Parts: sequence; C-alpha cells; structure tokens
Amino acid sequence: MNMLNIRNKFLAALATIMMLASCEATDQELFDEIPQDVALTTADATALQAFAAGAYKPLVGNWGGHNSLWSLHEVSSDELVITQKGADWEDGGQWIRVHQQNYQPAEQSVGNGWGYCFSSIATVNNLLKSFGTNEILRSELEVLRALSYLWLIDAYGNVPIITEIDTDPTPPTKTRAEVYAFIESSILNNIDNLPATKTYTTVNFFVAQAMLAKLYLNAEIYKGTPEWQKAADACQEIIDGGVYSLEANFFDNFKSDNAASKENIFVINYDKNNGTGFNLPQMTLHYSSQATFNLQQQPWNGYASQEEFYNSFDTDDARIRSFLAGPQYSSTGARLTDLSAEPTDPDGADLTFTPEINMLFPNAFRQAGARVAKFEFPTTSGPDLSNDFPIFRYGDVLLMRAEALWRLSSGSAEALSLVNQVRARSWSGNPLASLTADALLAERGREMFAEGWRRSDLIRFGKFNEAWWEKAASLPTKNIFPIPQGQIQVNPDLVQNPGY
Amino acid sequence: MTKLYLYSSRVLAALLVLVSSVAWAQQSVSGKVTASDDGSAIPGVNILEKGTTNGAVSDADGNFKINVGSNATLVFSFVGYTVQEVVVGNQSAINVSLVSDITSLSEVVVIGYGTQEKKEITSAVVSVSAKDFNAGNQTSPTSLIVGKVAGLSVVRPGGDPNQSPTLRLRGITTFGGNSSPLIVIDGIVGASLDNVDPSDIATMDVLKDGSAAAIYGARGSSGVILITTKSGKGGKGAYANVNYNGFISVDQVANKMDVLSASEFVAQGGTDFGSSTNWFDELTQTGVSSTNNISIEGASGNTTFRGAVNYRDNNGVVKGVDFQRLNTRLSLTHAALDGKLRFNLGLTYNDRDQESINLSAFRYATIYNPTAPIFETGETFGGYFQRPLFDFYNPVALSKQQQFIGERKNNLSNYRIEYDVIENLTLALNYSTDKETGLNGSYWSKKDFATGFGSGGQARRDTYENERRLFEATAKYAKGFGDLNTEFLVGFADQVVNNEGFAVQTRQFLYDYTGFDGIDFGAIRNGANTEASSYANQDNLRSVFGRANLNYKGTYFLSASVRGESYSGFGKNEKTGYFPAVSAGVQLTELVDLGPVSNLKLRASYGVTGSLPPASNLAIARFGPGGILDFDGDPLTTGDQYVSLTQISNGNPTLKWEEKTEINVGVDFGLFDNKLTGSMEYYTRNIDDILFNVQIPPGAPNPFDPINEPANVANNAWANIGSISSAGFEFTASYNDVKLGPINWTPSLNFTFYDKATINSFKVGELGPGELRLATPGSPGQNNNEIIRNIPGQTLGNMYGPIFSGIDENGKYVFPARFLNAQGVLDPSKFEVIGNGLPDGEFGFTNAFSYNNIDLSFLLRGAWGHDLYNSYRGFYENQDASSNSWNSVVTDKTPFVTSAPTFSSLYIEDASFIRLDNVSLGYNIPVKGGAFSNVRVYAAGQNLFTITKYTGIDPEVRYNDTENGNSFESNLAPGIERRNIYATTRTFTLGVSFKIK
Repeated sequence: MNMLNIRNKFLAALATIMMLASCEATDQELFDEIPQDVALTTADATALQAFAAGAYKPLVGNWGGHNSLWSLHEVSSDELVITQKGADWEDGGQWIRVHQQNYQPAEQSVGNGWGYCFSSIATVNNLLKSFGTNEILRSELEVLRALSYLWLIDAYGNVPIITEIDTDPTPPTKTRAEVYAFIESSILNNIDNLPATKTYTTVNFFVAQAMLAKLYLNAEIYKGTPEWQKAADACQEIIDGGVYSLEANFFDNFKSDNAASKENIFVINYDKNNGTGFNLPQMTLHYSSQATFNLQQQPWNGYASQEEFYNSFDTDDARIRSFLAGPQYSSTGARLTDLSAEPTDPDGADLTFTPEINMLFPNAFRQAGARVAKFEFPTTSGPDLSNDFPIFRYGDVLLMRAEALWRLSSGSAEALSLVNQVRARSWSGNPLASLTADALLAERGREMFAEGWRRSDLIRFGKFNEAWWEKAASLPTKNIFPIPQGQIQVNPDLVQNPGY
Repeated sequence: MTKLYLYSSRVLAALLVLVSSVAWAQQSVSGKVTASDDGSAIPGVNILEKGTTNGAVSDADGNFKINVGSNATLVFSFVGYTVQEVVVGNQSAINVSLVSDITSLSEVVVIGYGTQEKKEITSAVVSVSAKDFNAGNQTSPTSLIVGKVAGLSVVRPGGDPNQSPTLRLRGITTFGGNSSPLIVIDGIVGASLDNVDPSDIATMDVLKDGSAAAIYGARGSSGVILITTKSGKGGKGAYANVNYNGFISVDQVANKMDVLSASEFVAQGGTDFGSSTNWFDELTQTGVSSTNNISIEGASGNTTFRGAVNYRDNNGVVKGVDFQRLNTRLSLTHAALDGKLRFNLGLTYNDRDQESINLSAFRYATIYNPTAPIFETGETFGGYFQRPLFDFYNPVALSKQQQFIGERKNNLSNYRIEYDVIENLTLALNYSTDKETGLNGSYWSKKDFATGFGSGGQARRDTYENERRLFEATAKYAKGFGDLNTEFLVGFADQVVNNEGFAVQTRQFLYDYTGFDGIDFGAIRNGANTEASSYANQDNLRSVFGRANLNYKGTYFLSASVRGESYSGFGKNEKTGYFPAVSAGVQLTELVDLGPVSNLKLRASYGVTGSLPPASNLAIARFGPGGILDFDGDPLTTGDQYVSLTQISNGNPTLKWEEKTEINVGVDFGLFDNKLTGSMEYYTRNIDDILFNVQIPPGAPNPFDPINEPANVANNAWANIGSISSAGFEFTASYNDVKLGPINWTPSLNFTFYDKATINSFKVGELGPGELRLATPGSPGQNNNEIIRNIPGQTLGNMYGPIFSGIDENGKYVFPARFLNAQGVLDPSKFEVIGNGLPDGEFGFTNAFSYNNIDLSFLLRGAWGHDLYNSYRGFYENQDASSNSWNSVVTDKTPFVTSAPTFSSLYIEDASFIRLDNVSLGYNIPVKGGAFSNVRVYAAGQNLFTITKYTGIDPEVRYNDTENGNSFESNLAPGIERRNIYATTRTFTLGVSFKIK
C-alpha cells in the first residue's frame, strides 16, 4: 500500500472530523422532563386541564403534614400541643417555642408555610403569563391566587404582592391593608366568571364567596375596620345557592372517601396513592397505636390535644369523638402496652391516652394527651390519608354568618338559630339559649377543631394573647408570624414584622 | 509465525555468541540476566567486556555466553535498568539481576495525553508503581495508594466491602461539583474505576496541582488520577508468560462500641425480657474472602498482548454483606508500516454481584435491649423477638428479613490508532465507550417488623444503564532545535454521556417465596411504598486543547497549556470556558556543582481548572409530573384525573463552571547520587464561582432572567456564587536501600500540612445565604439543631454548639451562662465554634526491608487535627428515661448525665490517629529451572492497630456526611460519625504467586 496515500486519507479524515465537530456543545435536551417552551405553550383542552391540575397541586403539598402552616396554626393555638418526651420531640425546641408563641424567624415551619403559599402563587402566575387570554381560566387562577394570599394575610400579614406582570426579582413588602385590598379585588373582579355549580376540588362561585366571608369576617384584624355585613352577605350567597347542606353525620365530612360530602365546599384533594401528604395518623398517634389501626408504619407520637380544650367538649356531644382518649386496644381487642412508659407515669405500661398532660417539656409522659381522631384512619392505612381536607365547609359558613350577625346585633335571633342548627346535628337537645362571645368561640372550637382556623378565631375574639396551659400571656405582635429568616436573606426588600 | 520468529531469534543469538567466541576465545562465561523486581528473564541485554568491543546479547530466555580475557569486567546494560558491572575473576557462571532504574531521573511519568520524563516535570505530579502498592485484600484501585501520595486522602470509614473509598486531593475543592479526582484509565478520560481490578494496575499517577490538571479543563479541579494498566512488553522478542496470584483473607471486627451487659442494663432500670444476647456478635462473623488472578502477557512479531482474569469472592464481617466480581481485561497492540502505524485495542468486562443489609442493623445491634432473646414463639414476625417500641427493631431480624442485591456489569472498550504522519508528527484517534448496566433487587419480608410487615411484604427492582462515549483526536509534534527540545500537542474531544433507568416497586405479597423475582405477586402497585418511575438524561462536552513543552539543555523547562470546554449543561449565556496553565522549572545541578546534592530542581506553576455542575439539567426550568389531581375527589371516576404538570426547578441561563486557580511552587531534590530523593510542594488555591443551590424568593420573578424565565415556583436555583480558598505544604522523601548489615531498608515518608479551606463568601449580590447551617444529629429529638455552620470568613465545616462545663449533682448538663437565653435555655444564637472535621495534616510512612529472598514492608498512616462528632455517645450514653428501651454506650468519656441528650462539646472528640495500616511479609522461593519462576508466598495484615483518643468506631476523617443524600450539603458537613457506621475490620491475607513460561 502506498504510504503517502494512507497518510493523506488519515489527514483528510482528521480534518473533516475536526471541521464537522463544532466546538460548541449541543444544547441541553430533556428526556424525562419537559422544557419551558413546550410546557407553557401547548394549549389544547386536555393540556389546559392538566395545567389547571398543576395550579391546584401545590396546595396538596405541605398542608396536612408535619412542620406545615397547619402545624403552626394548630400548635400556636389552644387546640394542639407537641410535648417534649425526654429526647423525643425535642427537635431544637421549635414546638415549645410555637406553643408559647415565642416563634422565631428561623423556625422551619415558618419558612415552610411561606414557601407553600408562594409556590402556589408562582405556579398560578406562570400559567397566567402563558394562558391569561383565556378569560374563564384567568378568573379561576386569579381567585386561586387570592386563596394563597388569604392564608398569607392571616399568617404573615405584610407580604409582597406578586402578579404575572411583575419583573422585580425582589418584590417589596406590602402592608396588610394593601394585601386585603388585593384579595378583595381579585375575588370581586372574577367571581361572576366562576361556575355556580358544585366543583369540590376547584374554585367556583361559592368558594369565592367563602373566601370573601373569611376576609370580611377578619377585616377588623386585617385592615382595622370591620366588614360584618359584607361577611354575613357573602355567607348568605352560599346559603341561597342551595348547592350545599349540612351532612346528617358530622364525621362523614372527614371520612376516607368523603368526596360525596354535601357540606364540603372546597377541599384539598388528598389521596393515599396520587395525592400524598396528609400524614395525621403518623403525627398524632402513639407508637403502639400502629396495632389499633394496623398501620403500615409506626406513628410518631407527636400532636395531642390540650386538656382544657378537650374539656370544652361535652360527653353527650358526638363531636367528642374528634378525639382518641382513654385505654387503647389493638384491632383484635388486646390491651396495648408501652413498655417504655416512664416509671413515674401513673397509668403504668398499659397504653391510655389521658387528657391530662403532666408537662410541656422536658419529660412529658409518652401516653399523655387525647389524640386527633376527627379524620377517619382506615385500617391498614399507610402514612398518607385519602381523606380530602376541607378548607371551606357549609357548617363553617353557617357559623360565620351567625357570628357576623351577632357582631352586628348581639340579640340576633337568626344568629342564635344558625348556631343551634349546627350544634343540634351533633349535640341534640342542648340548644343555646343566647349567644355570648365565649359561647360562640367555644362552639366554633368544637365544630372546627383541627381544621386550621382556631388561631384566626382566637385572634378575632381577642383571646390569642391570653395565658393558658404552659403559656404566658403574649404580646399582640405575636398575632402574625415573623417573616422567615431565609426569605429576608434572599430578598432585602422584605420588611420584618414588628416585634421580631 | 510465532514459532518461526522464536526459532530465528534463537538462531541469531546463538550465532552472535558463536562469532564472538571464535574471535576472543580465552575464558568462557555464561549465565542468565533477570529483572530484580519480578525475576523475569530479560532478553536483548547488552553485555560488553569493559574496555573492549567484545560483546554479547542475552537470548529470549535471558541466557548469555561470552568469552573474555583475563581480569575482565562485564558491563550489563538494558534500557530502563541500572547499568551493572561484574568482575569476572575466575567465575564461569554469572547470573545477573538487573535493578529497574526507578530512582533515575529518566523515570517516565504519565501526564495528561502523554508521558514526560520525570526530570522535565514542572508541576506537582506523583507516580506510584505496582511494587509500591499496598498489599493485602485491596478491592478498590485507589486503596492501593492509601498513604503513598502526600495530599491525597483515600478514606473508607468503617469496613463495608461494598463501599468505595472517598477521595480528596489537597482537601475539599468543591461542594456543588464533583469533589473526587477525575479518573483517567489508559488515557480514557472519565472512565469508571469499576472497570479496573487492582491486580491489573501497573502505575497510578496523580496530577495534584492546577497546572498539571488544567489539560483536563472543566473536570480537573479535584485533581486527576491516571491509571495505567499492565500490558504486554515489546522489545523482548517473542514470548508468553502466565502469571498467577491468589490469596485468601480473613476479616474480623476491629472496633465496636461497648454497651452495658444484660445485668448492668437491668441494674440501671432497663426493661428485663429475661434473656441475655450480645447483639453485635449475633450480627457479625469472621469473613473469609478469596481472590484469584491469572494473566497471560507476551509478544509476537509486532504484536504485544496481555489478557487477565480476576475473580474475587469477598465476604464482610456481617452476615449477608458480600460481593463476587469477575473482571476480564484484554489489551492488544499491533504496529504496522515499520512501526509508523499503531493499533491498540483495550477491552474490559466487569461483572459484579453484591448483597447487602440495611446498615441501621449496626445501630440496633448496639442499642437493642440486651435482655431480649433473638427468637420467641409466634410466626407474626417470623419467630423473631419484636416489640412495638419507638425505633426498636431486632437487628438480627432486620439483617435477615430485608434483602438487597445488586448486579452490575461494566464494559470499557477502547480503540486507538496512532500514525506517524511525518517524522516527529504523530496523529492519534481514540474512541471509547464506557458502559455500566445494573439491576438491583430489594425485598422486605411480610414478617419484617420494620417495613415489610406494615406494607404486607414489599419488593423493588430497578435497572439502569450509564454510557459514556468519548471521541478524541490528537496531534503531537516533537522536535529538537539544537539545545532546545520541544513537544507540541493539540487535540479535540467530544463526549456524550447517557444515563437512563427505571424502577418498579409493589407491595402486599401473599408469600415471601418469590421475593423481588416475582414482583407481580404484589397486590398493590400504586401509592405509598410502591413505585413506577423512569428517567433518562444526556449531556455533551466538547473540548479543544493544546500544550507546549520546552526543555532547554535539560536545565530550563517550560510548559504551557490551554483547554476550551463547552458543556451542554452550562446556561445558554455561558456556553464555553477556557482553562489555561503555565509552569516552569530549572535544574540547578546543571548550573552549579552542589556537591552531594545530585538533583535540585525548582519549579513553579499556575493553572486554572473547573468543576462541572453536578447534573446537566440544572440551568433550565424543567416541568415534571406532579401528583394526580382528581377533580371530583372520587377515585372511581377516572376521566377527570390528570397528572399535574409541575415546575420542578428554576432556570439560570448564566450557570457555568466553578473555577479554581492554583499556584504551586515545588522543589525536587536528590542527594548522594539520588539515594535520597524527595520533593516539597507549597500550594495556594482559590475556588470562585462555586456552584451552589441557592435560596431564591418563592413566588418572585426569576432573579437571573425575570422576563423570559418562569417565576420561582420552587424556592431554590443553581447559581455560581461565593468562593473558598485553601493552601498546603507537602513533603515527600525516600532513602533507597539503607544498609542495615545484610538488610536493605527503604524508608519513605510523606506528610501534608493543610491550611483548611476558608469560606470567603457565599454571596453574589443578594443571592446566597449569609451562612449555611447543616447536619442535625437526627431522630430521636435532635432533628432541628444543625451542628455545622458554614460562615463566610471562617473555616469550612465549623461545628457550633455550647461548651459543656460539667454536670450538677442531679446529673444535669451544666453550660456556662453565656450560652443561655433569659429563660435559662440554650440559645443557638450564642453558640461558639467547638470543632472542625477537617484535618490539619496527614502522613504516610512506608518502610520496606529486604533480606535475601525475604521482604517486609509496613505502612504507618495517620491524620491529625480533625474532630469527630461521636453520634453513639451523642444519643445513647445518657441515663435518661429512654434507656429502659435502649441500651447505653459506655466509653471512658461517659459521664453520668440524666438530661435528655443534647448536642454540645461533650460529644466532639479529637480524632487524630496513627494507624498501622498495612504490613506485608513475602518470601521469594528460589526455583531452579523448570517452567515455574518467581514463586512467592506472602502474608499481609491490614488495619492492625490504631492509636487514638477517639472513642467511636473509626477516627478516619469524614469528608462528607453519609446521612445527607444531597452531595452538596454532604460535602459541607465534615466530621460526623453517624450511627449506621459499618464496624471497622482487621484483615489478614495469605497468598501465593508464580509465573509459568
């Protein structure tokens, strides 16, 4: 073979390869995920459904799990407590601080609650940017965004308002009154585009009215001037709609397959398989309770009810079944034991949930405290429940209208009748003769236990800063949570709430 | 053909001998020339009668015959070996053993894309060859050079045979990028270490400084380890040798935590189940492993070859932890056109099966109630004793009822053509594929109390394929211009990496019988504890590079290089980076006579390298499948169920590489004719544009491109922010063959002083944390108190906590008031630095002795100045209420504490240590003639003793946190010994090796 020939071919081949191969790498492709230019431009009807699903999905995220906004609302109120049991549940003291309303800007739960709301807001804004010309979808999304702001105004008060047209990467803090106005206009501008039919997991006309009711009911707290009549009117719109009614059995609203509830207006769509994150059995039950429900995983022995709150329930009130208390048994009827029970525990090793709790920390008894059982725990449950979590419920609407009417006129007969209507379902034969602030608050407590509204109710009734078990009186600045430390670090235009 | 060649070369040799004997027939001398390192015959050795032109050449078997005059001296010389002179006297038979020329300055060092003589090297490069490798049962290539290279840490805390060592070169270089050195196997950049069996490695070269590594551009920041495998040697004529090496090793538990005995536990108030069990002993065993290695190497005509097969059967000290590995390697080289055209083929196949257990069994074996029996009556849990207490699982049951297996196959194929186009110019094309496929299976029995019981039995299978295809073209031009020798290199590389895989998990099995082999026996295939998932990704890296090496009179040396790298995973505004380097050196002994100083070279280098982002898709906003939304909430109607499209990451079009700038100054020295050799290095390095997953405000517009990128759905994005810097001093020295009477002693010492990495900043503009708190001790009760804080201006990985000042009369912790808030409770904002997990220094001290046919070598190794958080003490030594279910660990540091365990300086221990890491003793059995040669028996011991004040399991440096799956956060949390640490082991090995011709 001719050597020169080989050499030339070799050189030619090399030169060709070097020329063909551009020295810039290819653009990054995605194979198992979808890039932005595909994701936010495909707009056929099915894709829009999926996008709408995507807008609601962030709500499923961290609401019904531990360290969530729900955890903050419940543990900072007089309903639930997470005691420290020796080394167990010390967790840096977060839950003791939250119980004592001494929460700090660096608390994980404070950061989680913020992220939960703003992730949903960003998802909505991204969809509005791409599909905002679809008027029906726009209305639904703007009201959904207002729901996140409804949580934010209640929890954090002063937060940035971000819409799809904003381009400032460090959006500044707005006052609580400005946030109030934004929520109100977002709902009012869009409410007439929403369907006035039952939707259950998505926003409709009645969900928007329920949001308005919550906003107006707390208007005095949020912006300094009350809006009782508007609150009462919004509730009346829902009552007049005739789409919802009270379930005969209170607990049907919280059972595992509660999709048929006539009472639930808007739920977070949890599913043990497809929509996970509602971990209540793990969060509240004792380790040994695994055998009661044949749970797939051992529970964590965390959340329990405070004794005084438990005692606000009458034994004749069916709603007392919202708690698990007393001696505990396995699914086959065997008495459960806790071999690690403290030697000083008067109940000994036999597992008994006593409403009384010996101390907040450091050595609370492992068995102390009634547990949350309002939501059904089906046997053989995994850590994730299928019970949809009601955010707005007809029973709450009736009580809200009752309260608004009572605030307008303490002798309102309709107010008394509405409260007794709700009360009679679970505690028949014991109607209230008249309404007082304490009676209304207690009734709301029994009806709305563990649904995440107690903190807001206590603030509205002026009770949140009072002293209670293992908690001293607190300053009014504790009525809103601090802006998370992590957020102030990344956004210098945020202003920390006063008192933190 | 082979036979013909053999025959003709023998005839030729015989003729030569005959001719010379005719001319100078006075005294006949014959003998054999062999190599001192492996005893193999050396053909082609020049044998010259000193002062004459009378000579001979050894034949293919190394035999020679020569006739010499009286008082003759024979001079034996061969390339790569020290010239040896032998006075003939009246001997008629002279056998000569030539010593490999290792200490000479002509030693060849492998650098990126080529080799260089050691005397020309101007950057920090260390070469370790097979004879200096650590002995014993070394299952990982990098274990071979533990303690041999100053500045290279190879750590494998605990004794898990399935765990690969963690590598750090000159400490931490990155946390977002890849912190392990780049591996190059026989020139294949980025090849997986799993492709090569330690037995097949000839040399390992470590490129330590930025200038040496810069030719590898955006992957060079963590240093480079170049592995050269053994291959057939040409130049010896036609031959073929078969080598065998086999050994058996025994593993024993070297260290574990002491706990209370059953009676002590009961006396302390623990629940008494009436039995007495040493759980640790029940979990562990004496592990017996075996390894067999056979290789055939040889040459024929213009073809050289080597084929090898390795089989390892490794059993750890824990029942159910083991692996079997079959590794096959073939390398074939052929030269054509008078050697101008060269072909090289390298094929490797690696087949590995492994079995492991849930490592938390170690924790339960330490803390499980010692009065509990292993078994009790009742089939619910398979006859094992179990109780429904928090975090309380029978460790024996856990190790038996959860099963994890993995099968892995690696296939590395390399095809190379080199062609000398014109004199001095060589073109090379190289194409390689490196493919790993794996199939894993896991099964949790229906009776496994920890997991399987609740889910009714649970099975998982997953499979994956990772493939790296690399094409490289290089041109090399080497030419001397008078006193100036030059070498130029240019090249182009194109690499495509593909990763893909899928996984399935089902649960609720009727029988345990099929395990993961019958995954469709699982009744539930959707929801918690089940899985159906897949992934696929691909990236592309294109590079151009060039280098010039200049050598003037063997006195002045200069090297300069640059590499341009374009990576698909960079943001679209930052597609290409350039990585330059320059280094220079001067050999002072060429300029002035320094007496006993036979070598003194000063060098300095500057180099820029990079680290790639840890994944290729971090620069772009990605949308993935979220959960499924069921619009009516009724799972029975399926038409209204949609997989939600969820934005799972925020984009950053400015994302690019990390950039490390390193300056290295060094001295190579030799004294007494290079009997004493060594080097010293000082380096400083600055790493900028550190890749970081930063918090960004959720809900706000994208901070990098607020117009085009979607708003921040998640609260984080990858960005280049912040910088760290570090420095160090390295010293290496070796004295060759100190005579201790008849014993030869070669001590080699290396040590490193680290100036630990300092965080300069974590911020660019508003992005980046003011500080980063990481690593909580964990459950129970210590989930929220991060113990490590990375703060700008401070050393990376500082541990923060209160300083323990004692205990009061009730056994409660006492802390100084300055750590407490107004309520008398510990206040994290007042904590101080109480430790750091990074070492101040490390050393390795190897001593090799030889006496006749016996050789002995040992390696002492250690690190100092690093702290460890002893998790076992931090959770389980307190006499608190929980001790009635958990056993307590007892050390000489255990105080009487009744408070709930709380992190403080009490649990931070100085973990400085000295370890007798490796001892080997060998005997070369003299064999006369026959087919067998190089017969050697040897024994080795690994991890024989450790001197340390640390009371945990293993004082080894922890560069990362094993309980943090996020490699980024893991690298920022050094110095934590977690509770699932595998027991350390002590290994004894007995082996034999020989050669057959």
